[in-house]
Amino acid sequence: MIAEVLIILRRCALRHWRLAFKQQVVLVLILALGTGVYLAMRLANRAALAGFERFTDGVTRQADWTVQSAAGSLPMSALREMRDALGPRPLHLIPLVESTVSPAIVEDTLVIGSRPTWRLVGMDFIGLLNLRNDAPAGIDPRASVRHGVLVTDGFAKQQRIAVGESLRVIVNERIEPLTIAGIIPRIPDLPAPPDHLLVMDLPDAQRLLGKQDHIDRVEVLAQRGDAFPSVRDETGALLKQVGASRWLVLDREDKRVMAGTMTEAFRLNLTILSLLALFVGGYLIFQALDGVVLRRREEIGILKSLGITDATIQVVFLAEALLLGLFGGSVGVLLGWAGAQGAVLAVTRTMSALYGATNAQHASLQLDEVGLSLAIAIVTSVIAAWWPARMAARTPPAQMMGQHIAPYAGQRYGRIEWLGALLMLVALGLAECPVWRWSSGARWPLGGYAAAGLWVLGASLVGGAVLRWMAQWAKPLGRLSAVVRVALSHLRQPSVRHRFAVAALASAVAMTAGMAVMVASFDHTMRSWVERSMKADIYISSAGAQSASAMHGISRSTVDALRSSPEVSELAVLQATQITFQGGSTWVMGSEPEFTTKHQLYAWVVAPPSEWWHSPENALVNESFTERFNLHQGDAIELPTPHGIQHLCIAGIYADYGNERGSIMVPRERFGAWFDTDMAWRVALMLKPGANAESVRAQMEATHPGLSIFTQSHLRSEALRIFRQTFSVTYALEVIGVVVAVAGLGLALASLLLERREELHTLRSLGMTNGEIVRASALEGLGVATVGTGMGLLAGLWLGWLLIFRINKQCFGWTLAFDLPWGQLAAFGAAVISAGVLVAAFVSRRINHR
Amino acid sequence: MNMNPHRSLKLWLQCLCLGGLLGLSCKAEDFSVAQPGRTFVFPRDHGSHPEFRTEWWYVTGHLDGSNGQRFGFQATFFRQAQPDGEQIEHLYLAHAALLDAKTDNFISEEKLNREGWDAASSTTQLDVRNSQWSLRMIEGSERLKLSITVRADAALELELTPSKPLVIFGKDGVSRKGSSPNAASHYLTFPRLQASGTVRVGPTSHAVTGEAWMDHEFSSSQLDEGQVGWDWAALHLHDGREVMVYRMRREDGLTDAASTLAIVGADGKLDQRPRDAFEWKALGSWPSPHTKATYPNHVRISTGGESFELRPLANDQEQGGSLTGLPYWEGACDVLDAKGKVIGRAFLELAGYAGDLRRHLGNP
Repeated sequence: MIAEVLIILRRCALRHWRLAFKQQVVLVLILALGTGVYLAMRLANRAALAGFERFTDGVTRQADWTVQSAAGSLPMSALREMRDALGPRPLHLIPLVESTVSPAIVEDTLVIGSRPTWRLVGMDFIGLLNLRNDAPAGIDPRASVRHGVLVTDGFAKQQRIAVGESLRVIVNERIEPLTIAGIIPRIPDLPAPPDHLLVMDLPDAQRLLGKQDHIDRVEVLAQRGDAFPSVRDETGALLKQVGASRWLVLDREDKRVMAGTMTEAFRLNLTILSLLALFVGGYLIFQALDGVVLRRREEIGILKSLGITDATIQVVFLAEALLLGLFGGSVGVLLGWAGAQGAVLAVTRTMSALYGATNAQHASLQLDEVGLSLAIAIVTSVIAAWWPARMAARTPPAQMMGQHIAPYAGQRYGRIEWLGALLMLVALGLAECPVWRWSSGARWPLGGYAAAGLWVLGASLVGGAVLRWMAQWAKPLGRLSAVVRVALSHLRQPSVRHRFAVAALASAVAMTAGMAVMVASFDHTMRSWVERSMKADIYISSAGAQSASAMHGISRSTVDALRSSPEVSELAVLQATQITFQGGSTWVMGSEPEFTTKHQLYAWVVAPPSEWWHSPENALVNESFTERFNLHQGDAIELPTPHGIQHLCIAGIYADYGNERGSIMVPRERFGAWFDTDMAWRVALMLKPGANAESVRAQMEATHPGLSIFTQSHLRSEALRIFRQTFSVTYALEVIGVVVAVAGLGLALASLLLERREELHTLRSLGMTNGEIVRASALEGLGVATVGTGMGLLAGLWLGWLLIFRINKQCFGWTLAFDLPWGQLAAFGAAVISAGVLVAAFVSRRINHR
Repeated sequence: MNMNPHRSLKLWLQCLCLGGLLGLSCKAEDFSVAQPGRTFVFPRDHGSHPEFRTEWWYVTGHLDGSNGQRFGFQATFFRQAQPDGEQIEHLYLAHAALLDAKTDNFISEEKLNREGWDAASSTTQLDVRNSQWSLRMIEGSERLKLSITVRADAALELELTPSKPLVIFGKDGVSRKGSSPNAASHYLTFPRLQASGTVRVGPTSHAVTGEAWMDHEFSSSQLDEGQVGWDWAALHLHDGREVMVYRMRREDGLTDAASTLAIVGADGKLDQRPRDAFEWKALGSWPSPHTKATYPNHVRISTGGESFELRPLANDQEQGGSLTGLPYWEGACDVLDAKGKVIGRAFLELAGYAGDLRRHLGNP
């Protein structure tokens, strides 16, 4: 059988490939597009996340454990305590301080996230000598001076700065010059440190960052040797035992999980979206291979007459699909890699704005990803070819060789229509499934995603039935002309190809419409929230705070100086710190409740009692916090602080679209006492009547060059811009989905017309002109496109509901107001239908000409 | 930056740490100088003296396992002051080494840390540590606890009990190292300590007993003009006496007049002899394959009609000096009399055969 398969492949399949070279190229490209999109998203996703991971790897490559405080920083005295607890075990304890810093720029555009963000790490250069060749990421202290900052070669080139020159960075509200003390050398076989990494000697970094006597974390490296075979495990256990509630002991996997959890929801959404694009691509591949079977039906008939078995025919087609998958997958790998280089920038920028400093990495290709992409292409191709191959194998030779072709229609249709409705019903049920929760607070809305998938699949199957009903309903229109009658006659008895064309279009349109509904609802909600919560005239933060999670603050003296400005009538301070709560990273904030209450800055999800702040255990939490940690009003929180656990009670829940990691809000006095700080994270100013916000802003900026000062209108527009940036990748994916679906419609019509060669001859004999035949095909295309688009739009509405009230709520914990972008959806629908008609007319004209 | 890593590390250290650390930038007047007539108060004077630039606590010894194993060990804790801007920063260097005499396996490790959470020495008692290594005197006694590891390949936990009283070498409390007034130190020694505890080599622990020697020395300058290094030895003789001898080597090949030999009698009486009262003769040498230095590690010391031949238990007892860039030989030896009979055990130190000690230990 293998020999037969090979002979048929070589003499028949490959001959067709040569004869219809362009078609084969298109087919390969379709496969390549599907796998390429998936791969591009996967690579971009990984590269953006690697910005976090590579930083971690660069500094702590061989660390067995990382110790960090659950809240705030660790006192240096904790290091001695750790060493004493660990006894004689041969361990390197490497204390670190770290922060993000941004360059001081004279002409600030005030576009948040537009300044580069670098990661500054303070490490004990003397202590590092003990590591010798284990020195992390090449931070081998070979520089000739200890004071100053070490940078990578890449950084020096990017910034066009040389050793001995000075770099001006913003630390809190100060502009600090840092002398470039040397270049971090590359050590062979070690991963290169990321370009955005700056390294300083620990005491200098502590002074610079105002963290004297404190560290952010300790990297623990166990020396390996026979005398201490279980030193790693013993160390972890001892550190956990001694640290109890004061510090967290994390191994490499824990750190990756924590970094991954932070961006989990965002990355999961991207992956799901790219898989949905592949799902639509699957339709297209099926249609293309179906066309291949159709074109070769006479040949198949001859082969069968010559005694080739059905099984061999089926295997030949599957083998051909496998080869197509291999070629398509290979091209897809190249396309995906190229696409990822563009996508990575968009994804990285979004991640950086939302989660902190990560740097754009090249989306490098790994062998497992090449394998996965090829496997996806081959499996998709073989699955898509299964049904056409089976049809080719099972159709009797006489039918194959005859000119009359029975369309692929039959008993199964009723069942598929019924199945589509059933899938949609199951989707309705799945939408009510609770979210899957991980111990770190990460949530996977598996039910929601499954519901989305089944809903789209179900709607696309139902679309076929709707096509038939519509054609039936439009039957009277046949009186208008023979062209309409011919078009409607085909739609009244839709073939599998019609149904697949409708299904592909409905899927792509549904996803796009659903996303459009969600984005519009988000936009609408964000606008209301921004208007409600951003009422101050001027907002101030450190210019070093270029991402939502940068922790640079403003000192009390600067706050007092701002308060003393004659135009200022009120000033409120917001303090913030990040803590680890129930295994996940979240925020604690200190606010001025009288100010927020007076100006009604909160949009309440669950309102607290009036003057809630008078009760010392009361705290507010945002909606994301309650969703993430499954808590409600009245529930208790054990808040870790440097002064021990504080027992709090949730007094109220406020809407907050600023972060999805959650935040706990307490009055500023309590925050300051618990976290030993009076640094402000954000400052809001109310100006006296008549004061000009723009001129006050300019004046303050001149006095405080280390601060970013925004007027209300500017900050509001920036908030909305960052929000929209988040969806830029989503839009790109949707466009690809729709393009693929419209292309699928063209392929389906091409197959249908090939199938109807005999009918076309008859119509011509009866006096129909080529123009009329083209118009009939265009009308047929119009019908398919209208039903596909209409079905897609309808399905998209529920999909939008699902995304807003289930998936988004479960992922991010945000309540959004449903908003339907009627105009946008109508324009989109019209564009897709027009494109469908045009493609149908084009395909029909080409085939008729032949 | 295409330097040889070893060389570049050494350079870095020389420039950054030990350059300043060992006298390039410090002025002697910033620190105290060993003065005669000092009244030592204990346990305070077992502790650290940050007013002096350099200080070390040096423990060497021989250990015997219950199953016939024999080990030589060394643990040294250094403190060195160096200026950092307006401030004086103290750096702590430490060495640990273990010789398994049965297998000739010699392992060593160095550590360098700033004074602080991971390296410190008490100014009120003997309590010095560097990373996980520590040496401390048990409160209310003169017993010492030593805890060291050598990489992750060996670990020593020893209790050291003086079997002889503390000795203060030199004249009127000052041990001279050269003719310059600054070239002097306060040199305190427990000449014989009974050692007991465990030595873990690889996965096997050995209960051990033995004898050790501990020096505690502090000064602000060690080498005098024209000196290039020193040879030092501490001998435990089976007859109950101990011998300490050092000779300061000059660049002209001669032995400096400040060199000394001291014999602690079985009764604890100290007999200190000048340069011309003893002879130090090399009987053999060992070329190091690691550093290319040649160490005269087989020697005969003669004094007052007695001769002590120091024969190393293994040739390769060189400390690499990967942190300091100053390799030296410090090894366990047997002591033989003129007839070739083993009459004791010793530790021999040969410094200044590789690298330039003057750069680091010279008079500022």
